[in-house]
Amino acid sequence: MRSSLMPLGPPVSRDRIIDTFPKWYTPDASLQLKEHFHGQVSAACERRNTGTVGLKLSKVVVVGDLYVGKTSLIHRFCKNIFDRDYKATIGVDFEIERFEIAGIPYSLQIWDTAGQEKFKCIASAYYRGAQVIITAFDLTDVQTLEHTRQWLEDALRENEVGSCFIFLVGTKKDLLSGAACEQAEAEAVHLANEMQAEYWSVSAKTGENVKAFFSRVAALAFEQSVLQELEKRNSARPQVGDGNLIRMEENSPETQDSKRPFSLGCC
Amino acid sequence: MADVESAEKLSSVSRPSEGVGGACCSEISTELIRSLTELQELEAVYERLCGEEKVVEKELDALLEQQNTIESKMVTLHRMGPNLQLIEGDAKQLAGMITFTCNLAENVSSKVRQLDLAKNRLYQAIQRADDILDLKFCMDGVQSALRNEDFEQAAAHIHRYLCLDKSVIELSRQGKEGSMIDANLKLLQEAEQRLKAIVAEKFAIATKEGDLPQVERFFKIFPLLGLHEEGLSKFSEYLCKQVASKAEENLLLVLGSDMSDRRAAVIFADTLTLLFEGIARIVETHQPIVETYYGPGRLYTLIKYLQIECDRQVEKVVDKFTKQRDYQQQFRLVQNNLRNSAPEKIEPRELDPILTEVTLMNARSELYLRFLRKRISSDFEVGDSMASEEVKQEHQKCLDKLLNNCLLSCTMQELIGYYITMEEYFMRETVNKAVALDTYEKGQLTSSMVDDVFYIVKKCIGRALSSSSIDCLCAMINLATRELEADFRGVLSNKLKMGFPATTLQDIQRGVTSAVNIMQSSLQQGRFDTKGIESTDEAKLSFLVTLNNVEVCSENISTLKKTLESDCTKLFSQGIGGEQAQAKFDSCLSDLAAVSNKFRDLLQEGLAELSSTAVKPQVQPWINTFLSVSHNIEEEEFNDYEANDPWVQQFILNLEQQMSEFKASLSPVIYDSLTSLLTSLVAVELEKVVLKSSFNRLGGLQFDKELRSLIAYLTTVTTWTIRDKFARLSQMATILNLERVTEILDYWGANSGPLTWRLTPAEVRQVLALRIDFRHEDIKRLRL
Repeated sequence: MRSSLMPLGPPVSRDRIIDTFPKWYTPDASLQLKEHFHGQVSAACERRNTGTVGLKLSKVVVVGDLYVGKTSLIHRFCKNIFDRDYKATIGVDFEIERFEIAGIPYSLQIWDTAGQEKFKCIASAYYRGAQVIITAFDLTDVQTLEHTRQWLEDALRENEVGSCFIFLVGTKKDLLSGAACEQAEAEAVHLANEMQAEYWSVSAKTGENVKAFFSRVAALAFEQSVLQELEKRNSARPQVGDGNLIRMEENSPETQDSKRPFSLGCC
Repeated sequence: MADVESAEKLSSVSRPSEGVGGACCSEISTELIRSLTELQELEAVYERLCGEEKVVEKELDALLEQQNTIESKMVTLHRMGPNLQLIEGDAKQLAGMITFTCNLAENVSSKVRQLDLAKNRLYQAIQRADDILDLKFCMDGVQSALRNEDFEQAAAHIHRYLCLDKSVIELSRQGKEGSMIDANLKLLQEAEQRLKAIVAEKFAIATKEGDLPQVERFFKIFPLLGLHEEGLSKFSEYLCKQVASKAEENLLLVLGSDMSDRRAAVIFADTLTLLFEGIARIVETHQPIVETYYGPGRLYTLIKYLQIECDRQVEKVVDKFTKQRDYQQQFRLVQNNLRNSAPEKIEPRELDPILTEVTLMNARSELYLRFLRKRISSDFEVGDSMASEEVKQEHQKCLDKLLNNCLLSCTMQELIGYYITMEEYFMRETVNKAVALDTYEKGQLTSSMVDDVFYIVKKCIGRALSSSSIDCLCAMINLATRELEADFRGVLSNKLKMGFPATTLQDIQRGVTSAVNIMQSSLQQGRFDTKGIESTDEAKLSFLVTLNNVEVCSENISTLKKTLESDCTKLFSQGIGGEQAQAKFDSCLSDLAAVSNKFRDLLQEGLAELSSTAVKPQVQPWINTFLSVSHNIEEEEFNDYEANDPWVQQFILNLEQQMSEFKASLSPVIYDSLTSLLTSLVAVELEKVVLKSSFNRLGGLQFDKELRSLIAYLTTVTTWTIRDKFARLSQMATILNLERVTEILDYWGANSGPLTWRLTPAEVRQVLALRIDFRHEDIKRLRL
């Protein structure tokens, strides 16, 4: 159904290949502390038995106040560019980013929403069905951090409870000195725990942590998708043709028999 | 012995003679001959020598034959001798001539080069002289032209002067008439300033008087004086004034217009349309002048100025619109209503006209902006045909900035933002109303709400589409998806959750009868509490209708997706939206299509419910009666069964009766699924009772017959093959029909042929054991 959206282009670029499970930014505010893929997931990946996960797109919605740098963050990651000029996002934009995680192709569909109040009506229509919600704020502006609560609430209203991963991202890290940054992060980590979100500090200007952050997002979303797929398959009702109708054991002695004269001939 | 030795000697001796070479032709040396003592050997050597002599003679003959030809060749060679000397002489002469020619050519070309240089200098000199003459001519011309008020002529002179190389002017100063030219130049510069002032003044007057020919006359002079920017800005000032006055007129007309007018509901959209059309007409009429007198690539500047006025007018119109239509107020009310915190509810129907007007306004401005984009890009394209890639990109950026950041765009986006919320409210409320007013008409499969809801959803999405804004359309598709998936599906799901009521004892005996029949019969008989029956029958009917509704929903969503797709290909082919618009749209649409599957899942759930509460409790007792029919029978009973069927005919009759009730009130697709579920159920349950029975040979035959007629009947009521579902039962019948235990081996393993066994070896043994006439030891002994 979504295959029409799958960009079946060239293989994914090298820096979009994720083999090891990406780590959290800070253990104080992290969604998962484990350092490896879920056992079932890596097993399924090895057997290339992940079903239709590779064809699916995971929806990521980025929300937050205007001018915190949502578009810059996405552009840094997807196009590796940084435009100094501020250009307000109108309505919504989106990018599709392809990954290869544990050998399985996987795509994130990143929806970049407008932060301006007047576009909220349009943007909020796109929150639904998100697997990942990224709430962004400006590390240099405490107000924007406080507003993330409201943004998250709006986004969660359109989604089922507990169905999304939530990330809290502080932007413009390059503008802060070490001490100021630590202080801002401490506050953000506190809020992240309250929101049950994972916290990250990034800078779209220098590119710091941007790739690591999105890799983490992709890996978590991927793992969830695979687990859901496996669960769905386990609970699926047995259907005609599912049983062990073709028994391979009967064939194996025959094949061994047919091999034997060959080995004799050799000796 | 001796032979061998001499042979060895021969071979050993002959070797050095070979080494000596051609001096000695023979292989046999004199020393060898001398050393020979035996006659035999001598003879042998002699023979060989004779042979050699013959060969040598032949060779000599051949050589002698060649002598003649060689001699004749020698003669010709001698004759050629003198000719060769001649050729050598000629060649030397030729080489000399070539060298001479080469030198000559080089001489000539160097002279040509000098000539060329001289010619160029001459041309330059003439050019300079011309320029100086022109300068003088301009000086004189400007004066007289200004005196005669022939401004075009004067401007042409000044233009010529401005085009002259500055070095020419410097050069002419250095000449003998330096001082005079200096004075003249001064005059010329003065004239230039004067002309600029005059043109500006005259232009201002012409603008004030609204004298278009005069305005255009002076507009054409500006570029001659190198005042492109100024000319364009002043001209657009004039045009803006015209736009403004026209727009004001229109707005006044609107405010004073009769609100009962046919177009009253979209009067603001019409006003905007008039404004846009006016500007478009201006661009259309004045583009050729700008292009001719200012060169290509200047349209952007003109439109940039015009857009400022356009924005100003749009602001006024939208302002009046917001006030007169209470747009903000309505939006706030809607927002409160959506949050369920409103004191008063807005009637969604009242929103209808304003929503239509907003989308129309947006569509008009999109059209207008597209027109500007097309015009400016093609103008840039002509102007930038020689320009570098950077310049082109810079221009593209300017264009994007102008069109995306203009107040018109922003205002419209704001309006659309409010629109989305109001449209969402409209959709939600109307859908709720349709659900509340749901009615079912007898004889129809579905109830009114399905058609109503999809009419509403289509209308809302269609309206969003008519705004020509892809973001707006996608947002509306998303909201519709939500409405259908969460709210409407919830309504249907709740109805299904109420379940298909378990039937009363009397119903079981009679089989399920349709609601109407029950009601009628119960009324006639007056035996039952009609109220109770009525409500259970209503519940049943409601359940079945809901099932049909769910199925139609799933269909409708797929149809909606297809229609939207085809509608939008038209839109995209017009180049609406950015490069990502199509991808955005596809993504939202696929989310909508996914809802169709959710409805399908719901249908399956409902069917499973129906099957387990209504079908299974009825079918199971019928199947269980199989146990009461003995399959351990003699010839006599078997024949008797033939005449008086003990089980299967009644069973088929019961099934038919039950299914016919459903057939009338379910859509063909659902009915098919239900019969499919029924056949599976029959197959599974029948298998269970068969495994509980016991058979003899004739009993097995009887069961085979029964199964065949059952399958034959079920095949007639289902559209797809049921053979697969009954495969296990058929195989069991085959086993129960065997003469001997070992006969199974004719069908098993390598002998199975095209037959795929659905029974495991253990199950085969189990079935064999059902035959009371088969011995356990035989079955045990089987190698399967």
